[in-house]
Amino acid sequence: MATHAKIAEQFARELFKLSVVDGVVSAEQVGGVLAYVEKHRPANPVMVLRAYQRLVARELAKGEAVVEHAGAVNAAMLAAIAAAMSGLYGRRVVATARPSAALLAGLRVRVGDDVYESSIAGQLAALASSV
Amino acid sequence: MLSHLLILAQAAAPAADAAAHGGAASGITNITRQFGLSWPFLLAQILNFSLVAFALWYLAFKPVLAILDERQRKIAAGLKYAEEMKAKLEAVQKESAASARRAQLEATRIIDEARKSAKEFLDKQTQESTAKAGEIIERARQAIELEKRKMLAEARTEIARLVIAITQRVLAKEMSDAERSRYNESAARELTNV
Repeated sequence: MATHAKIAEQFARELFKLSVVDGVVSAEQVGGVLAYVEKHRPANPVMVLRAYQRLVARELAKGEAVVEHAGAVNAAMLAAIAAAMSGLYGRRVVATARPSAALLAGLRVRVGDDVYESSIAGQLAALASSV
Repeated sequence: MLSHLLILAQAAAPAADAAAHGGAASGITNITRQFGLSWPFLLAQILNFSLVAFALWYLAFKPVLAILDERQRKIAAGLKYAEEMKAKLEAVQKESAASARRAQLEATRIIDEARKSAKEFLDKQTQESTAKAGEIIERARQAIELEKRKMLAEARTEIARLVIAITQRVLAKEMSDAERSRYNESAARELTNV
């Protein structure tokens, strides 16, 4: 069973490599990969597709900066944050605003698995953990 | 027997008279005549007395003296035996007294040793009890200290939690939109400088 999962993971990685163009996931490439998988059903197709979906989602998350905010944010702020993240990661990052009243005030930017905290809720949580 | 002795004495009387008529015999004769002494009777008396004395001595005095001697000997033996017994009794009493003294000394020594051992045991038990009590007290003190620290930590944590919760509620309720916007701008500047 572990061997099948390993084989499926390796195949999904190969398919993912085919889906990335210039460091960016291409929708066309993803469509082509899915058509191929549909036509040539590999062994353990569900495992393969789940692994492929996880890899694609992770890559897409790297290109998106989710900006959680409490209060108003304008497009200039979002653009500035997107530019800063793009320069930081060396690729194009798009900023997306998401309201979150739990922050009380300030911003929390999440890019993939990285989180950049600058909110009152985060500071209060850090204070609580330090006590 | 006495009659024969008397006859012999009478027969010897003229011979004695004839001998008494010698030179100085006249004085003696006068004396004997004045005092009425008769030599035959005197000799007979002397002889009788001697015979009686001998008989008494042999038949009476000698056994009696033997008996007396025997009694004396027995008395002496008894006294000697009594003396010996008395000496033995004294020796036994001395030995008994010495044994009693030795026993008393030994008993005193044993009692002293027992007292010493009891005192040492008591001191040792006292020391051990004191040490154990000290350990118990120390462990209790440490437990109290630990509990106190734990309680303080819990109180600190709870107070911090309450303060934070209250702060969150107050900020959520009292913070204006303008203040939030200013804070967001500041946060955006901070994040762009990452």
